Amino acid sequence: MAVEPEHFRVAPSSGVPLFRQIIDQVAALVASGVLKAGDMLPSTRELARVLEVNMMTVSKAYSRLEADGLVERVRGTGMRVAAPSVNRPLAERQQEFQEQVAPALHRARQLGLTDEQILNVVNKVLKANVHGS
Amino acid sequence: MAPDIIRCENLRKSFGKTEVLQGVDLVVPEGAVVGLLGTNGAGKSTLIKCLLGLLRISSGAATVFGEDPWELSAATKARLGYVPQAVKVYPWMKVRQVIDYTGAFYPQWDPQWCDELLRKWELDGSAWVRNLSGGELQRLGLILAMGHRPDLLVLDEPAASLDPIGRRNLLRSLLDATRDGVHTVLFSTHITSDLERVASHVAILGEGVIDFFGELDELKDSVKRIRVHSTANLPVDFAVPGSLRTEVAGKTAVVAVASVDDQLLDGIRNRWDVTVDVEDLNLEDIFLELHDA
Repeated sequence: MAVEPEHFRVAPSSGVPLFRQIIDQVAALVASGVLKAGDMLPSTRELARVLEVNMMTVSKAYSRLEADGLVERVRGTGMRVAAPSVNRPLAERQQEFQEQVAPALHRARQLGLTDEQILNVVNKVLKANVHGS
Repeated sequence: MAPDIIRCENLRKSFGKTEVLQGVDLVVPEGAVVGLLGTNGAGKSTLIKCLLGLLRISSGAATVFGEDPWELSAATKARLGYVPQAVKVYPWMKVRQVIDYTGAFYPQWDPQWCDELLRKWELDGSAWVRNLSGGELQRLGLILAMGHRPDLLVLDEPAASLDPIGRRNLLRSLLDATRDGVHTVLFSTHITSDLERVASHVAILGEGVIDFFGELDELKDSVKRIRVHSTANLPVDFAVPGSLRTEVAGKTAVVAVASVDDQLLDGIRNRWDVTVDVEDLNLEDIFLELHDA
């Protein structure tokens, strides 16, 4: 299966760079299961045409996705969604997650939550968001 | 590496005692779509005219396709397309006649592409030029400048007298024209929303110098507004290194920075014991923050 370019939307006047909007949407499509390992992304040209953005914007997004291991370049065919990135070192993946958590933790402390209360929230969120893998 | 299409180094241009361009440095790589952004009177048109050899630069250096703009060869001129702010064509000709007349000067003229543009931009080929509205004239000017599929297309405020539909059509055609990655576009504008969709690069011209030149994405990634929240009133000496603007009001502060990174944010968090929210800025916000700084 391949995802149609019409699945994508960009807001040019947003403060988020266009290539990052595309990256986020691919990531979201993968996370929500719309895109599965082996699915093809629209070609750079096609997506640029439909979104009416510069082609360089799309190729930049695709290159970053490739560097992040989310998609892989198939010679002569295009970009394919890669299998979940379990082959990246665990320490690296944990580090990335840690960076995401740090600001939230800081805010939690400011709200006067104890460590136990914070953990309770995390557990609750984890339970509500069981990943159907 | 893509060759550089335009280069200027310390380009200066004075009119009498007024120095309009005060040392412009700019390097435009092949395939770039560069939006030249600046307030009215910043010198955008002057810079464009210097680059095209329509004005002689006062000092400094500039090259277009490796040649001095003042001495461009005919072969290089054939690779250029230019739409001035005010399009002037023969009022006693019909639209189609002006197109054919202009095309006769170019060996690589593409009549089919012109027909396509006429259709897309809803121009009547049999209309008299003298009866065209401002927007129609501008669209005709664009066709005349694009008909030979120039390697470098220079547009001075191309969207100024176009309505939103016309602007959207123009931007689409620019994207079409640059799809192959070897055609380069430089267009000046003060309408930031025109830029955000098509431009790969932005050059911000303020007071006769380039305040920023780089990829639009980089600009959006680096210029941010930071909202700082503290549990107590912020001290009077609250400051963020390298800030463009700082506004402190009690427990909160708003800081615009030219270059944000994790180190800077951690620094603020640890130094003042605060939480920080980073706010993404669109091009208009960025332009205003850089301009007020």
